Amino acid sequence: MRVTAVAGLVAVVLGVLAQGAGAAPATSCPSAWAHGWQRLADKVAAPVYCPTWMPNPLDAHIGGQYQDIYSIGKDRSYLVSFLEHGDLGSGDVHVNFRGYPGRTKIPQCPAPVGHTTVPCFADPAGRMSANGIHATVYQVNQGADQWHILLAWHYHGSLYTVSQHVINPYDSATRIRQNLAHLLKSLVLVQPQQG
Amino acid sequence: MRLTRRRFLGGAAAAAAAGGGIYELVDHFASTPKRPAVEPAGMPPEQHLIDLGTTTSEGVEVVVPPLHHAVVTAKLDVTEIRTAQTQLEDVLRRIDSAYELSPAGLGVTVGWGIPYFEKVVPAQARAHLPYDRRAQKPVLLPTRRFPSDPSGTILEDNDVVFLLRSDRIEHIEDARTKIAALPFLSVTSIRRGFAGGGFDGGHSLPKKMAVAAGVPGADLIPDGAELFLGFTSTQKAGLGPGTIANHETLGYVDLRTGYFRHGTHMHVSHLNEDLEAWYLNFDFDERVLTAFRPAMTNVRQNTQTIPQGPAQVSSESELVRQFHTTGRFGHSASIQPTSRLPRDMIGVDGTHYPKGTAIPQRADFNTLDNPFAFSADPTRDRMRNEPSAGLHFVVFNPTGDDFERNRLAMDGVLPGGTTLTLPPRNRAQGFNSILTTTHRQNFLVPPRRHRSFPLAEL
Repeated sequence: MRVTAVAGLVAVVLGVLAQGAGAAPATSCPSAWAHGWQRLADKVAAPVYCPTWMPNPLDAHIGGQYQDIYSIGKDRSYLVSFLEHGDLGSGDVHVNFRGYPGRTKIPQCPAPVGHTTVPCFADPAGRMSANGIHATVYQVNQGADQWHILLAWHYHGSLYTVSQHVINPYDSATRIRQNLAHLLKSLVLVQPQQG
Repeated sequence: MRLTRRRFLGGAAAAAAAGGGIYELVDHFASTPKRPAVEPAGMPPEQHLIDLGTTTSEGVEVVVPPLHHAVVTAKLDVTEIRTAQTQLEDVLRRIDSAYELSPAGLGVTVGWGIPYFEKVVPAQARAHLPYDRRAQKPVLLPTRRFPSDPSGTILEDNDVVFLLRSDRIEHIEDARTKIAALPFLSVTSIRRGFAGGGFDGGHSLPKKMAVAAGVPGADLIPDGAELFLGFTSTQKAGLGPGTIANHETLGYVDLRTGYFRHGTHMHVSHLNEDLEAWYLNFDFDERVLTAFRPAMTNVRQNTQTIPQGPAQVSSESELVRQFHTTGRFGHSASIQPTSRLPRDMIGVDGTHYPKGTAIPQRADFNTLDNPFAFSADPTRDRMRNEPSAGLHFVVFNPTGDDFERNRLAMDGVLPGGTTLTLPPRNRAQGFNSILTTTHRQNFLVPPRRHRSFPLAEL
């Protein structure tokens, strides 16, 4: 019941947000989510990207019911993940946001075979531009982004990514790319507050 | 023919109405490959040979496979065997007279399983079936599972199999209908599929068909890929030439009475392919290492056709060394020590086969069957309605043991006793982690003169 009730509420919220994203680029992080993203920006002392649209049924409320991973490394890199897990076979909706303040190089991850490393984001498959961001699409990704399609781009000397899992109900790379295009269009920068 | 969205939708609807399903779209999607004219000539004594012609892909000579394929398996209910023999041969001759032996016409190959030889002609089989000298085993071996096969892989027991190949689907359907109408045949399965169609540029047939069917991962297949997994697999140098897969050519086989001279061994299996796992978890470089060999690290990104000539053949010692260095082995590299000639050889007809020449002649084709287009026992065969990306693997080898050597090598079990130990279907074990074999069976393909109920006339 909780899921049903929340889903209804989320649908209303997302409807508003989606309309906003479709009509004109949003200029600020939605008020219901802004606090968490501001705290993240302050913590990593770097700008972060807040989405103003999320694939149904997710929201991007850090600390909310869909938040899955919230991790900040010693190097200030962060991973914020939102997940809806469909226990009854409805599938998973899983979106990751990453930032690597102060560096633009794609990080290395443990290789799936052997004791070497491989780029965490690989197999570039085109580019996507929106909202002043020129992103590269990566199809083969590691760690929490495995099975995801991922967009990566640079901003002021830092690397940022957003990715979504290719899985039912968003069960094709084409559908995920459509969602990522929406997400890219919806991103707004949240600057760290001074002091 | 170019296909507009309107045309596509119309074609899909018409196909559904005709009951032909997704495969009817093949004719809309594929233009017939350009092939050299075939001179009318007598048919070869071998049933498995068909002149396919070649083209060039990314600088590599590749064989152009027929666009359409079907496999029909059946069991027999025969009381008058000589009458049945005559009836089958009559049908096959009518098909032969209607269609020339070429991709533009039709290739028909008939194989017979152990149940046929044991039930119908047991005494003759004991006297005439060929024997593998190298393996010290019969040429036709009981079908078995391999280390990477799931325990649920079904080992089939069909009496007979018909392989139909053509660029024209209506030729295949005509032949299939005529064969299935024979009163003593009880069709157990029909398997359909397609291959090629992309060598002239643009989107290949497997890509178009997978996208039209909406199978998971379809949109990740490279546009021009010959097969779902993205790499060309019909390099001319990677396929056995001429009559090399005949029982007698390489001297592996004691033909005994000679009844099966010009015959061969045929293995038929079905595999599911996890396209999403392949394209989302393996980057291009790892797909190359997995499909070919771990040392292959300098391949231009998104290359589809990679040379597979004798110069690219891995020896067993190289395979073992690379495995110990990298912890993995590639699909081609693991098979090549057994599938390629270890030294120059002269065939029985005097043909010179250089070291590194491929022995198996593959006739595999992609499919959307799940796992078959038709099954007489849908529960046993675990039939599903939704399309699924897969492969009907068909291969001709001189002997069943020769096939088994290659298939075991694919799992890291080498004929000299060396085993490259990895858990079954491990990611480091070539293609195995993204393939699941559902069905297998071995058959003997007699020479054309004995293709109908072999040994029954004796």
